[in-house]
Amino acid sequence: MAVSTKSSPPPPRRRRWNSLQAREARLAWALVLPTALIVFGLVLFPAIFSIWISFCDVTLKNLGDVFHAPFVGLKNYQGVINDFAFEWQGFQSWGAAVTSVVYSFAATILTVALGLVASLLLNRPFKGRGIARALFLFPYVAPIVSVAFVWRWILDPRPSGVLNDVLMRLGLIDLPQAYLATRGLALVLVIIFEAWRYFPFAMLMILARLQALDATLYEAAEVDGATTLQKFWYVTLPELRYVLGSIFLLRLMWTFNKFDDIWLLTGGGYGTNVLPVLTYQFSFKSFNFGKGAANAMLLLLILLVFLIAYVRIVMRDTEEA
Amino acid sequence: MNTHKSTPCSDEKLNIFEHLARRMSLWDFIAVITLIFFLIGILFPFYWMTSSSFKTYAEIGGREPTYIPSALRLDAYRELFDPANEHFQDFMSNIINTIKVSVPTAVIAVFLSTLGAYAVARLKFKGKEFLLNSILVVYLFPGILLIIPIFAMLAQLGSRLGFEIQDNLVILILTYLAQTLPVALYMLANYFRTIPVEIEQAALIDGCSRLEVIWRVTLPLAIPALVSVSIYTFMIAWNEFLYAFIFLNQRELFTMPIKINTIFNDPSPRPHVVMAASTIMTMPIVFLFLSLERFLTEGLTAGGVKG
Repeated sequence: MAVSTKSSPPPPRRRRWNSLQAREARLAWALVLPTALIVFGLVLFPAIFSIWISFCDVTLKNLGDVFHAPFVGLKNYQGVINDFAFEWQGFQSWGAAVTSVVYSFAATILTVALGLVASLLLNRPFKGRGIARALFLFPYVAPIVSVAFVWRWILDPRPSGVLNDVLMRLGLIDLPQAYLATRGLALVLVIIFEAWRYFPFAMLMILARLQALDATLYEAAEVDGATTLQKFWYVTLPELRYVLGSIFLLRLMWTFNKFDDIWLLTGGGYGTNVLPVLTYQFSFKSFNFGKGAANAMLLLLILLVFLIAYVRIVMRDTEEA
Repeated sequence: MNTHKSTPCSDEKLNIFEHLARRMSLWDFIAVITLIFFLIGILFPFYWMTSSSFKTYAEIGGREPTYIPSALRLDAYRELFDPANEHFQDFMSNIINTIKVSVPTAVIAVFLSTLGAYAVARLKFKGKEFLLNSILVVYLFPGILLIIPIFAMLAQLGSRLGFEIQDNLVILILTYLAQTLPVALYMLANYFRTIPVEIEQAALIDGCSRLEVIWRVTLPLAIPALVSVSIYTFMIAWNEFLYAFIFLNQRELFTMPIKINTIFNDPSPRPHVVMAASTIMTMPIVFLFLSLERFLTEGLTAGGVKG
């Protein structure tokens, strides 16, 4: 701190305890302590604890006494890896691991792309831009339960479902389709839903960066005779590189971890079973908490692999640049 | 954008496309089309939710969808709120439960994160970097991974100390705090750093204590950030599904999301009731956002809000 009050020097030991710096540090710890305790107690400790659970046999019977649960080594992990719901079984049944990866990458790419388009759109001055920006945030702030159920209702398999009605009127389909109960199509729709819901997040971040861009860059490009497309490609995009990269990483992590969206849309059926939903099924449907924890640890492990790969690629890129 | 070359008005007859071509450039045209596309895609589901909530059971169950309800029928809302209705859902108690969880979450989160954020932004102490990094790790862990150990841990603690972990709204508030505090702390700390230190130093020299400085100087200057943090934490607790889904079993304690899920999964489907309940749950959030949009956009970008 820049403030230092000089008082007459007290005896050495008490000075250290009583010095302004020491008092400030104690105050600082007192201020962060409640937050630190809650985050440690309900996030960090449970996270470490779940490593232990994943090596133990924990069911409903000994849930109240986990610390004495029998240690079973890698049995839970073997159980998960050999489970037909987890493992790749060929193109008819991808298994949760592969589905998770495909789902997260596709949804994240689509989210960032839509967010980029939306932010370029809202960066142009026009009447009513403020209200448009607020409206664009709706999918992101509305409760997941509401929007998931509206989408299910729009995609309803009966002829009275909106999508069925529209497509039949247009003559694109003859019979009503069960969109969320068709393998393949269900996964595509879940990915589209994800992009619909989360593109405003990407949009906000990109918009903030776009508005901080230096206008002289564009003026220079115009002097050089650049077209709109060229300006976007050679000026805007390079300037957005880092913000796009960090949004991609954040959204990839969160999409990979997401339970609610798929659970509410398909319940994890019809080729949309992802690792978080599978974790739920192991833990709270078959009450095999050890296996659930092992599955969650594998999820985290896959995520970490992507994180490390990403950091390495980004690091290499910055070194080259 | 390239400015169009405006030709002086002539009497020749123009069709609509030629007319448009004179008024706007190609890029303006693409922008308008894209904007319309986005607005329909975003707003139609919300229109469909609200309009479906005002339909009768006959309109909702017909062979063809009813795009515009014949009248504003309150059948669905009666089912939710009218005790005399044969399918009475007692949705009021769910609304109250949700408020009981989300308001304390917002208040406590703002209070605790203000204290923590001030320490992080202004005070020097050992272990600050470690603390900040370990708090950020929260971003990495999926909720579903944490719920198993939390469940096991609290079950043990609960049987020792004599409290229930299921159907306990206090437990729910604590788990929401754990999810929201890190982001709230980051958002506020970022904001506090933008407040000039000199103002605080002046107050310190005038003889205020640190806590007085926070209360009298920093907080009044940080009101926009405090508003966005409280709305953000409120929104997370209001919308939360997974933890409530696992921790609540008694119908009387259900929060709105769990109740809506229950109505949806009822053996006899009643979509108009689901849509009415969803409308009720969505409206407050959407209105909060529309009215406080400017604060919130700033806040959301500052913290990289998790969702």
